[in-house]
Amino acid sequence: MTLSLSDPNWYPIASSEDLPFRHVYQGQLLGRELAVWRADDGNVNVWENRCLHRGVRLSIGINEGAELKCQYHGWRYANRSAGCTYIPAHPADAPARRIENRTYPVVEAYGLIWSAANDDKPFTPFPGAETGDWFALRPMPVNATPEAVLAGLAGLAPDDQPAQTLPGLAIRLGDTLYFVQPVDAGRSVIRGLLPGQPADTIVTLRHINETLTKLRDRLERAAARQPAPTPLQPVFERVSADLATMPDIAIPRGATMPVVVKRKWASADGVIGFELADRDNRHLPTFQPGAHIDVHLPNGLTRQYSITNGPGDLLSYVIGVKQESASSGGSKVLVETVREGDVLAISEPRNNFPLRRDATRTVLIAGGIGITPLLSMARFLDKSALPYELHYFTRADEQIAFRSELGALHGKVVLHTGLPRPQIADTIASALGTWRLAQHVYVCGPAAMLETVRSTAAAQHWPEEAIHFEYFKNDKTIDDSSSFEIELARSAMTLHVPAGKTILEVMREAGLTVPSSCEQGACGTCLTAVMEGEVDHQDVYLNDSEKASNSCMMTCVSRAKSQRLVLDI
Amino acid sequence: MSITLYDFELSGNCYKLRLLMSILKLRYDVIPIDFYPGRQHKSDAFLRLNPFGQLPVLQDDDLTLSDSGAILAYLAKKYDATGQWFPNDPAITAQVLRWHAVADDITATSSAARLALGMFYDVDLEKAQQGAHRIFRLMDEHLWFGEREGRDWLCSPAHPTTADIACFPYVMLSEEGGIARQDYPALRRWTDRVRRIPGFIVMSGIFPAGRALETV
Ligand code: FES
Repeated sequence: MTLSLSDPNWYPIASSEDLPFRHVYQGQLLGRELAVWRADDGNVNVWENRCLHRGVRLSIGINEGAELKCQYHGWRYANRSAGCTYIPAHPADAPARRIENRTYPVVEAYGLIWSAANDDKPFTPFPGAETGDWFALRPMPVNATPEAVLAGLAGLAPDDQPAQTLPGLAIRLGDTLYFVQPVDAGRSVIRGLLPGQPADTIVTLRHINETLTKLRDRLERAAARQPAPTPLQPVFERVSADLATMPDIAIPRGATMPVVVKRKWASADGVIGFELADRDNRHLPTFQPGAHIDVHLPNGLTRQYSITNGPGDLLSYVIGVKQESASSGGSKVLVETVREGDVLAISEPRNNFPLRRDATRTVLIAGGIGITPLLSMARFLDKSALPYELHYFTRADEQIAFRSELGALHGKVVLHTGLPRPQIADTIASALGTWRLAQHVYVCGPAAMLETVRSTAAAQHWPEEAIHFEYFKNDKTIDDSSSFEIELARSAMTLHVPAGKTILEVMREAGLTVPSSCEQGACGTCLTAVMEGEVDHQDVYLNDSEKASNSCMMTCVSRAKSQRLVLDI
Repeated sequence: MSITLYDFELSGNCYKLRLLMSILKLRYDVIPIDFYPGRQHKSDAFLRLNPFGQLPVLQDDDLTLSDSGAILAYLAKKYDATGQWFPNDPAITAQVLRWHAVADDITATSSAARLALGMFYDVDLEKAQQGAHRIFRLMDEHLWFGEREGRDWLCSPAHPTTADIACFPYVMLSEEGGIARQDYPALRRWTDRVRRIPGFIVMSGIFPAGRALETV
């Protein structure tokens, strides 16, 4: 038998005990190096052992419980999806679309971790597997070909009780099962299973270990006399340049996906929690702290809700919806008509509110339902043991949402309940303090609160780049009375934008596909580079210096002050 | 007390002392010795301190000491009030010294391979690598059975000793000598545990481990 790189068989690659929490195990199968790690939720990840950034081994990375962090450059990848969640030093602070490390199939069963080179074959247990408890032996690495090791194991059988060969380089000797893990053409690991825990565990384990050590010595002496087989040469189709490089800021709208409402509950007075999960219990796409999803509502509307989850927590998204008494449209439908078990369409997570993880101090300020993105941020910072303070303002005690989730955090969480207006401003001022290098503040809450934070921070010398907020709503009235020309540089088109129509609409009418989401200048999806002309900004997404730079705009609401705009589209 | 360490940043043997002094929260001065490429440890001035011409050397007031294992024992006996790092029990002392000797074997193999690849020393690379693999196999077995028997460290006490510090650096630096640790999962788990000892410090090539899971 010759080993093949595309061998679809499942082989054990580790023992369950090899994967304590917060450890990264280094494995190999058919020449491919693997980083294997158990997340805090128990899930086992089998990944290609290379960081997409520079190819540094992930097995020397840090298992943070829900993300694996590359030791060298700090790229992070999420439990389950292997999606990259953080690229340090990136101007946009984060990957705005999906960059994923290569993963391999995995099953944890009978005290062993099993994997395969590809997904071609379902995992099938060995004969008799289901009949009892199995006890894993100490693995024995052998520098010899898998075939030779299998033959050597067969040779251990007494004459009157020959070994029984099983599919997938496995063998049964009496009631002990042995598996040969084909590490590479000339390297193997013997893994064994005993039926049930032996009476005198240590004595039994030592005895078997001794037998296998002697077998190994024999096999390695024999192998040393043979010419060494050429190692397998796995070729890694490179992850497309598109996916492995730094992403652009704006991403296309992307497809929607169906999710089922797994749970709906009152998280607080006026806040309804929704847990949304994949229908087949697969994991959902990776997201970053601060990210939101567009929820497509039964009445045809689309609304954005922040994901509250912590890092690598991908089996469902939890969102919080404000139950506004006088609310028309969006939230009202969710709260009143959507029930557990219903299916909703959501977008992939999108992040307009990226969290920097190189701050020496992070201040999170939430008002009311604004807690949702900040809860997610706090959970990320918490897992990474980064210093942060979370200030959560509500009018009454019953309005504190996600109370138990907040209670599970280790950082400084301060609840400010029922403060009168002026006192809120004072509290914010002292929470912020004066700015020092590498401090950042994130705020989400009602418009008045954003303004307070913005002006207070400015007064206390916080630079604009250190203040982060997300508007879901643009409260300004849009003036669409102007008319002007747009020249689309890449598409080689010149279009006329009349009064009463947005640039976005005009471009769509001309047959262009352009991404948008909120269409009120709040989400940043339609961000477009401007090459010439003077922009009449009307959005709340860009900050003042971005607006002043005249180099980008939101095509859904903004217009031109000049006769002509040249856009990079 | 006034401690001075004659130190080379990239030397695992010097790092052993920096590590223990950090764990014991000792203050000390450093005199850098240019081991490579300067070969200052063979200079007359240095040979007067240590005729063996080896780093590290440690001075504590009037006392001049050499050999990392000996100095580890000295520091622990003198400055570790808990008595954990170099326990007084005769049987445990024997265990610790046994592993100090293994640490010297690791230096002679894993560290030698690293010197060959990184600092162009004239050593038999293949022999050094094979020697390191032989020791790592034994350590992995010792540590694997230790885990089954409820022992996390090289010696029998329920806490680390100078034996763990003595063996740790050149295990961690083995990849620089072309010696993979993939075949030694129990050894790799032990290095995580060492890197979580309170007071742990890094050196070039030796990183901290992630935080352990806090179980309440
Ligand atoms: S579509 Fe949201 S800012 Fe334009």
